Amino acid sequence: MTGSPYAAALTLAVGSVLVCAITVLWVTSTRSVIRVVAIQGVALGLVAMILGIHLRDAGLIGAATVVLLVKGAAIPLLLGKASGTGTVHSRESRPIVNVPASLVASVFLIVLAFAAFRDVARFVGTTAGALVPVGVATLLIGFFALATRQRPLFQMAGLLMVDNGTALVAFLCTAGVPFLVEVGVSLDVLLGVTVLMVLTMRLRTEFGDVDLDELRELHD
Amino acid sequence: MSASDLLVATALAGTAASISGAIGSARVRINVSAVLTIAACACGLAVAVGVLHSHHGVALYTNRLIPLTGLSLALDPLGSLFVAITSVVGICAMVFRLGYEGHGLSSRTASSALPLFVTTMLFVPAAATVTTFLFLWELMAVTSLLLVLADHRHRPEVQKAAQWYAVMTQFGAACLLVGFVLLATRTGSQSFVTIAARAPHLAAWVRGSAFVLMVIGFGSKAGMVPLHVWLPRAHPEAPGPVSALMSAAMVNLGVYGIVRVGDGLLRGGPAWWWLLVMILGALSALFGSLHSATSRDLKRLLAYSTTDNVGLMLLGVGASGLFAATGHQGLALFALIAALLHVVFHAVFKGSLFLSASSVQQATGTRDLDSLGGLMRRMPVTGPIFLVAGLAISAMPALCGFVSEWLLLQAMLHGLPTTNAAIAVTMPIGVGVLALTGGLTAFTFVKAIGIGFLGQPRTEAAAGATEVRGSMWAGSGMLAALCLILGVAPWLVVPAVVDAARDATGIRASNPLTPGWQLGLSDIHGALAPGLLLVALALAGATVSLGRAALQRGAARRAEAWGCGRELQTARMEYTATSFGEPLTRVFDDVLSPSHDLDISHTAESRYYVEAATFHTALDDGFERRFYRPVAGALRRWGALARRVPNGSIHRYLAFGLVALIVVLVVVA
Repeated sequence: MTGSPYAAALTLAVGSVLVCAITVLWVTSTRSVIRVVAIQGVALGLVAMILGIHLRDAGLIGAATVVLLVKGAAIPLLLGKASGTGTVHSRESRPIVNVPASLVASVFLIVLAFAAFRDVARFVGTTAGALVPVGVATLLIGFFALATRQRPLFQMAGLLMVDNGTALVAFLCTAGVPFLVEVGVSLDVLLGVTVLMVLTMRLRTEFGDVDLDELRELHD
Repeated sequence: MSASDLLVATALAGTAASISGAIGSARVRINVSAVLTIAACACGLAVAVGVLHSHHGVALYTNRLIPLTGLSLALDPLGSLFVAITSVVGICAMVFRLGYEGHGLSSRTASSALPLFVTTMLFVPAAATVTTFLFLWELMAVTSLLLVLADHRHRPEVQKAAQWYAVMTQFGAACLLVGFVLLATRTGSQSFVTIAARAPHLAAWVRGSAFVLMVIGFGSKAGMVPLHVWLPRAHPEAPGPVSALMSAAMVNLGVYGIVRVGDGLLRGGPAWWWLLVMILGALSALFGSLHSATSRDLKRLLAYSTTDNVGLMLLGVGASGLFAATGHQGLALFALIAALLHVVFHAVFKGSLFLSASSVQQATGTRDLDSLGGLMRRMPVTGPIFLVAGLAISAMPALCGFVSEWLLLQAMLHGLPTTNAAIAVTMPIGVGVLALTGGLTAFTFVKAIGIGFLGQPRTEAAAGATEVRGSMWAGSGMLAALCLILGVAPWLVVPAVVDAARDATGIRASNPLTPGWQLGLSDIHGALAPGLLLVALALAGATVSLGRAALQRGAARRAEAWGCGRELQTARMEYTATSFGEPLTRVFDDVLSPSHDLDISHTAESRYYVEAATFHTALDDGFERRFYRPVAGALRRWGALARRVPNGSIHRYLAFGLVALIVVLVVVA
């Protein structure tokens, strides 16, 4: 798999995406999580870029640029702006599943992804295709973060993992979705994050805190 | 005009009636839709009579109404018999409806649903494929549910009745769906003809489970015990013409279904199928007649009596199947003829009874027998109509009920001298059930007529009752006249019934009944001459009255009968329906388990003096209390438990999604 420079670079980039996903489960401070999201965005963009260069596909390179800009720069910037940094409250203090257990769970999720998608990987057959389970694993870990983290920022990071995992699978399986579609998806995510950030900021100004468990009291 | 054109005309007239029921002022839409529905029924009757007369079926196919599969109709003699019954009841109910007021039946929804209900009932027996059948069956269920709900704004019990009806009918429909799907997938076709051709080669368990599912499904529509609980609730609460249509036409279709599937599609089956049908029939007959004998609500009484009569029909159908399964082809045909004849006659007298009971309800505003009395004099037309129909259902000679019950009895009695153990055990029980039911039915209608129509009125409402409009008694009167005509001349319908039974079973045995002025039983050496019976009865009656007149000539002392020296006889001294049925309630205490509530309040001064005593007694359905309420309670608890799972936490919902995804992946891997 690591025979050619192309394969080595691709594996490195894809691996980084997965490592970033696991890191999201690990870190607890706001600043780090935003940084991890940014790194993952860049890694995803690089995956697309490497594939685009390898296949000499201008559309894919264009899409990679958009991904780099949106997921590597715009979204992290928005997240950073919205969350406000440095306060004690902004740490993920008590996730539903604690960090060590989350890391163990992520191992199981990765194994599951590889077990479930080994046939798909074999079917696609290319170097990129062999890495498809990594995308699925990223998706599962993102979902896990979404379901077990209390703070909106961390849940949003989870949502972005799910999206990045899906995009990764799409890139690896089909050597890139059409340029317009990819741009549309990225901008959708940007829009979603913007809306969520605005909501979070409004909540913060109204109630001073955005812990979901405490917000539940409003419902009750 | 060919038969298929007439069939199209039936559908068009029914649709036009349904549309006209939704437009115009109340009077106009009632009259126009009723007349158009009568036209649809007349067309249906013409097609059915044509098929029965010519022995040529009618087939029709269109793919404009249902996409993909299309609507496929085919009318054979068995279906035609049921179409004819529904048409006749429909015509009479619609004539009745012209004068009927109140009970929300004049609303646009109800006036539009009623013609649709009648028309779908006309077409259900003509369905030739599974999808067509289920489509029409559901349409019939939905429209009848709408009609039961017609008066929901004014009486809260209507909603409860409709709930019961909706649940039971949907449960039945689900069973039918599964049963039909099983047959259709296993035979690879949804056409009834192909299913009938291939069904004999299916595995025994497929045939058996399909049959049991169908018996449950059709039984729930027929009001068979233990699926009858909706019937004594929904039939009384439905508006008059609707209750008559449900009891005299819709319930029959349940029996039709069992005959069509058991004898037609599956071409008969092992003895246990039919033993099951007989046991359920016997249970229904006993349970229904017992409850109708002790009920004091006039329409509830009639509804339970419907369960009773359905039981008798099923007893006949089951006996027929059992005879066929043990190789007695002639007896099998004979028993099925008796059962189908009972379907015909039951429709006639029960239609008349329900319509006249609705007349009573409209005239007095109540259905409670304990509040009625003295109606024979105040309603001089409805009273005798109820009397004739009541005598017919009690199987009095020279009326139609007698003929079918006598034939049913003959069929089962003549099954006795066989060597087959199943027949040797079940037939005597069947005869016993028939005898006991007959007695209880006579008791019931002595009560209904004696308490409701004779004696003195018990309330102001009953005292102020006047005869209903002409079209109303015309509707019930036509059916009562049919009771008399068919009782004296059953050969008017016997050939049609014989054709239907032959067609259903495929038995080519010689006709066991020789029609004519006397019904001869060719295999069994028996004969019934209803005409002679009538003459003999008339002679006997004349002799008795002449003799009495001769004896009483001379000094006659006039005194109040049973007056015990009292001058005054008031309504409070009369027997009530409750007191009349009380001995029976006592005898069948275990089955009926009545609840009594005696509340005595004493005067403040001394406990030896009673100030007031109130006595309340209630009879509720044993199946409802012991089976349905626990089941409903368990479902409710399960529902409450399930409601605790979604607690509003976003994390929990996300976790559901994640777990579901993981489960899918694990299954895939």
